[in-house]
Amino acid sequence: MAAIEVEGLTKSFGGRVACRDVTFSVGKGEIFGLLGPNGAGKTTTLRMLAGLYAPDAGTAVVAGIRIPGGPELRRRVGLLTEQPGFYDRLTARENLKYFADLEGSRRDRVQALLDRFALAEHADRPFAELSRGMKQKLAIARALVHEPEVIFLDEPTVGLDPEATREVRSVIAELSAEHATIILCTHHLDEVERLCSRAAFIAQRVVAVHEIRREDLLRIDLAAPFAPDGVRAMCKSLRSSGTSLFIEPLAQVPDIVAALVAAGARIEAVAPHRDPLEEAWLSLLADAREQGLTA
Amino acid sequence: MTLLVLRKELLELRRSPVLLLSMASLPATVVIVPIALLAWVMHAAPEQALAFVTDVYGGQSIGAVLARNWLPMFLVLPIFLPILLAAQSIGGERERRTLEPLLATPASTLSIILGKSIAALVPAVLITWIAAALFCAGIDAVIGHSLLPDEAWLFGTLVLSPLLALFGNAMAVVVSSRVLDPRAAQNLAATTVLPLLGLLVVQLAGRIALGPRFYVVLALGVAFADVALVFVAVRLFDRERLLTKWR
Repeated sequence: MAAIEVEGLTKSFGGRVACRDVTFSVGKGEIFGLLGPNGAGKTTTLRMLAGLYAPDAGTAVVAGIRIPGGPELRRRVGLLTEQPGFYDRLTARENLKYFADLEGSRRDRVQALLDRFALAEHADRPFAELSRGMKQKLAIARALVHEPEVIFLDEPTVGLDPEATREVRSVIAELSAEHATIILCTHHLDEVERLCSRAAFIAQRVVAVHEIRREDLLRIDLAAPFAPDGVRAMCKSLRSSGTSLFIEPLAQVPDIVAALVAAGARIEAVAPHRDPLEEAWLSLLADAREQGLTA
Repeated sequence: MTLLVLRKELLELRRSPVLLLSMASLPATVVIVPIALLAWVMHAAPEQALAFVTDVYGGQSIGAVLARNWLPMFLVLPIFLPILLAAQSIGGERERRTLEPLLATPASTLSIILGKSIAALVPAVLITWIAAALFCAGIDAVIGHSLLPDEAWLFGTLVLSPLLALFGNAMAVVVSSRVLDPRAAQNLAATTVLPLLGLLVVQLAGRIALGPRFYVVLALGVAFADVALVFVAVRLFDRERLLTKWR
C-alpha cells in the first residue's frame, strides 16, 4: 500500500512554474529519492507534500490525508528543512523541546532522541555553538520528534563536511532499517544509490522513476547482435543493447557463458557491470533540457 | 500552543541582554531628562521666571505643568517598545530560517501571532509601568510634595498603556507579515507613534489640554482598533508568501 500518492501536482509562483504535473508514489517503508538540479521543483514538491503550500492543480495523499491537509497532516509528517533553522540563543535541548511541545510529542522523546543522535553531551550548549554536523542531527531529531508516519528530508547533507555527511547518512540508513517511509530530496546521486530503493528524476515534472540496483550486473560483449532467448531462464533479468547483454544472473556465470556459446554466440568479453544512476541521470537531464524543463 | 510560543519568546528575550538594554534606554531617557531638567530649573531659574510660567498655565506650578503634560510620553513608550520586538517576530524567524520548521508544526496562525504578541507586550508594559513609577516618585521628590500619580496618570498607565502596547504590537505584526525586511517593518511600524507625539507637542505648547474624557475616548478607540488589528494580522499571515517572497 502506498504511503504517498502524488498525481499531477502543479505549482507556480507569480507566473513562474516551480513544478508541473508531478506524479509518483511511495510505498510504506520505502526510501524514495527525489533527484533534480537546483530549481527543479524538489523543495516545492516537498513543501506541498508537507502541507506548507497548496498546489495549483493535482492531488496528493500523504499518510492517508489529502494535501494541503492542515494541522492533522503536519502532525503526521516530519520535515527536515534545507537549513537546520533553530534559535541560536536556546540550547539544543530547549530547541528540541520547543518543537516537541508544539508537536504534542511524548515527554520522554526529547531525551531519547538526544541520546540516539549522540547529542546528549552537548544538549545544554547554545545551538549557535554546535558544529554543523550536530546542528543537522538535531534537525533530523526534530523531524522525528513526533514519531511521524512519513519523513521528508530536504538536502540532508548539503554543506556538511565528509565526517558529518557520513554520520547523517548512517542516521538515514538506520531509519531505513526501521522501515520508515522517507522522501529524500537531494542532488547527490551517490546518496540516492546508497540509501534509496527508487528515485524520481524531477525537472519541474517527474521525468522518470528509476529503480536503484545495488547488485552488480554481468555485461557480456558479443561480436555481433544475438537473440539470447536460450539463456533467459538462467537470468533474473536480461537486457540487450547493441552487441552487449546486461544480465542479472540466476545461474553460475560460466554456465551462462557456456549456454550462450552453445547457442552460437561469439563472446568477446565478460565483466561485472554496475547500472550507474549517473548515466541514466545525465541522459534524463539532457532530455529535460531539450524539452525546456530545466536550464 | 500560544503559551509554548510565548514561553520560548520570553526565554529568547531573557538571553538577549543587548535587546533588553536597548528597550530600557528610551524609558530611562524619558524618566531622567524631565526630572533632571525640573530639578535644575527649580534650583537655578529666577523667581520671576517661575512665576511667569505659573501665570501662563493658569496658576499651575512648573512642576505640575511638566508632570501632567509629560503623560503622553508614557503612552508613546508602550507603543514604541513592543515594536522593537514584534517587528522582528515574523521577519526575524524568516532571517534565521526558523519560520519553515515552525510553520511545519501543527501550531495555528492565531497561536503563533498571539504568543509572539504577548511576548512583546509583557516586557513593554512592565518597563512602561516601572518607568512611570520612577517618574512619579522622581517628580514628587523634586517638588517636595505628592503630586503624582493623579487619576489621569493612573488611568493612562494602567489602562491605556496595555491597550496601546497591544496596538503598537499588532501594527508591527501586521507590517512584519507583509514587509519582509525586519528593519523596514520596524521603521514603518514606528510611524504609529507619530500621532501621539504630535499630541504631546501640541499639549506642551499649551494649545490643548488633554483631560480624562479624552483618555477614556482614546482607550475605547484603541481597544476597538486592537481587536480589529489582531483579526487583520491573522488574515494577512500568508504562510506561502512568507516562505517564498524575499522582498
